[in-house]
Amino acid sequence: MEFGPIWRALLRNKGGAILIALQIAVTMAIMVNSIAIMQERATNMQRPSGMDEANTLTFASISFAADADLRATYINDLEMLRNTPGVINAVGTNSFPLRGGGWSMGLQTEPGEDMGGVGAAIYFGDEHMIETFDVELIDGENFSPEQVVFLDPDNFRWEPYVIVTEALAKTLFPDEEGSVVGKTAYINQNDPVQIIGVIDQLQAPWQGWDDVEHALFSPVKRAEGFARYVVRTEPGMRDELLPQLEEMLASADKTRLIRGAQTFDEVREGAYLGDSAMIKILGFVITLLTIITGLGIVGLASFNVSRRTRQIGIRRALGATKPAIMRYFMLENFMISSVGVIVGGALAIGLNIFMVETFALTPMAWWVVPVAMIILWLVGQAAVAGPARRATRIAPSIATRSG
Amino acid sequence: MLKMTDVSKIYRTDTVETHALREFSLTVDEGEFVSVTGPSGSGKTTFLNIAGLLEEMTSGTYELDGRDISKLNDRERSRVRNEKIGFIFQSFNLIPELNIFDNVDVPLRYRGLNAAERKRRIEESLDMVGLASRLKHQPAQLSGGQQQRVAIARALAGEPRFLLADEPTGNLDTHMADSVLDLLSEINSNGVTIIMVTHELTLADRAKRNIFVRDGQVTDAAPEFLRAANG
Ligand SMILES: Nc1ncnc2c1ncn2[C@@H]1O[C@H](COP(=O)(O)OP(=O)(O)O)[C@@H](O)[C@H]1O
Ligand SMILES: [Mg+2]
Repeated sequence: MEFGPIWRALLRNKGGAILIALQIAVTMAIMVNSIAIMQERATNMQRPSGMDEANTLTFASISFAADADLRATYINDLEMLRNTPGVINAVGTNSFPLRGGGWSMGLQTEPGEDMGGVGAAIYFGDEHMIETFDVELIDGENFSPEQVVFLDPDNFRWEPYVIVTEALAKTLFPDEEGSVVGKTAYINQNDPVQIIGVIDQLQAPWQGWDDVEHALFSPVKRAEGFARYVVRTEPGMRDELLPQLEEMLASADKTRLIRGAQTFDEVREGAYLGDSAMIKILGFVITLLTIITGLGIVGLASFNVSRRTRQIGIRRALGATKPAIMRYFMLENFMISSVGVIVGGALAIGLNIFMVETFALTPMAWWVVPVAMIILWLVGQAAVAGPARRATRIAPSIATRSG
Repeated sequence: MLKMTDVSKIYRTDTVETHALREFSLTVDEGEFVSVTGPSGSGKTTFLNIAGLLEEMTSGTYELDGRDISKLNDRERSRVRNEKIGFIFQSFNLIPELNIFDNVDVPLRYRGLNAAERKRRIEESLDMVGLASRLKHQPAQLSGGQQQRVAIARALAGEPRFLLADEPTGNLDTHMADSVLDLLSEINSNGVTIIMVTHELTLADRAKRNIFVRDGQVTDAAPEFLRAANG
């Protein structure tokens, strides 16, 4: 191929080419890092919460009567919910994955202060938690009904049993090869809790938290003015049951309001609203930048074709076929783009290292740089194709006809 | 060798039709050095462009080396230009972005010769025109006469059977023009068929045969104005 002469000719007329290469490099750096961010967000969004999201719904009951018997309402509500056809199970809890708010406590394997705890999300609930949250008990046992107590707000203490996620168990007892069931951990520095069961996976309510897989169940029922229910239905029944259950609870006790009814799809959507917006914005930005770069390449190539009208005619006269003329501009663009993507690759990696260090971004996947290179190469070739085809239509007689 | 029969060329624009060549017939044999003279606008360049496959004729037949040119497609025409024909233009037409070596290299690359063969031919042909020491120079660093010699080297490097020259000395002073003509004569004596368009009779006289063109047709003898101009 005629790399040599094209390259040397390029060096003699490099102003425009350098600007375009620079534009490609900057586009590449931004594209690569945007893709890295988008990819991180998308990966986060794809993590399972651990719940049966397609068939789960939630709402809250807010009692406003001063003399209401909250425990009776709580028991009655759950009784009604669990007995409704189409409902698999229901539970009253303080929070659930993707909710964005909830409790967390430090857990440690030795009692005392300054021992350095492991953070874990706390989900209060009874023995129906496992089925309602659709988690799998992979070791140990579920709470027995006797272990579950009503929370006494005036005299709070930690119940001595917990069920933990496997991830939390592994972090707490990294060297344990066998079962962690029966082991004791300390919550709130000094309160012993015994691990009676291990579940496969369940996210904490904060999807952006580094320890998002650290969660535990505490056998506590909370019948306070504000009760949150989670209901798991038979497949396909959720949307039908949501208004029905809401209405059922509302009419069963007129001294409270049912609020915040949501399917789990809505919960997920709300939780990742920022991330999906970020993905869309970045996608828009890199598309726009790529288009602008493409237009810049079209502009430079058009200018070069016009500037070289005469020499294109001369080349044709000397025996260049139309494909050879086409190839000249494609190759020239390939060289400019290559300089751009190589410089851009270095810029992109530098910027990524900076972002990883500064914003704790996950280091990008290995394929992002080569993919961006290929995209920009293709964009360059596509952009130059039009002007290059125009160049092939320049008549060889230009060589004798002008000047 | 080169045989045109009743070739005509009509340029059409929205408003005008120009008959640049009309029933133009000419045969040139192998090894000839033919000059083509005629007044400005008589169709000399048009003839040369058709002969050199730079333009297509409107009607007529044209055989080059026994091949019917009208049947060739664009790719085949490019190939004939590349392999059989060397061009020398009035304005030299070197590519300004390329140095002398790369300029002479242009048609050789289109022919697909390997690097060693190209290098040999480039050096040989530049040597022949006396510019072997200027390989790395840019065209703009050479005088007009030197540039035209590079163009001749470029035309020769492909070892063509035909050399077509359109006013090759038009942009040169008399001294340089003479040396270019000397070079063409030498090339012709090596067996290359040359057709040279010029409007200067003194130069035309250096050719072995003179053709006169008037109103797009070959005329038998030098018309009055040429004889007058020639003294
Ligand atoms: N591309 C063109 N379009 C229209 N008319 C043209 C074109 N090229 C040449 N002509 C006309 O054809 C005639 C012959 O031109 P040309 O062959 O260049 O003459 P010469 O070389 O003898 O001066 C002239 O009248 C010229 O104006
Ligand atoms: Mg002319």
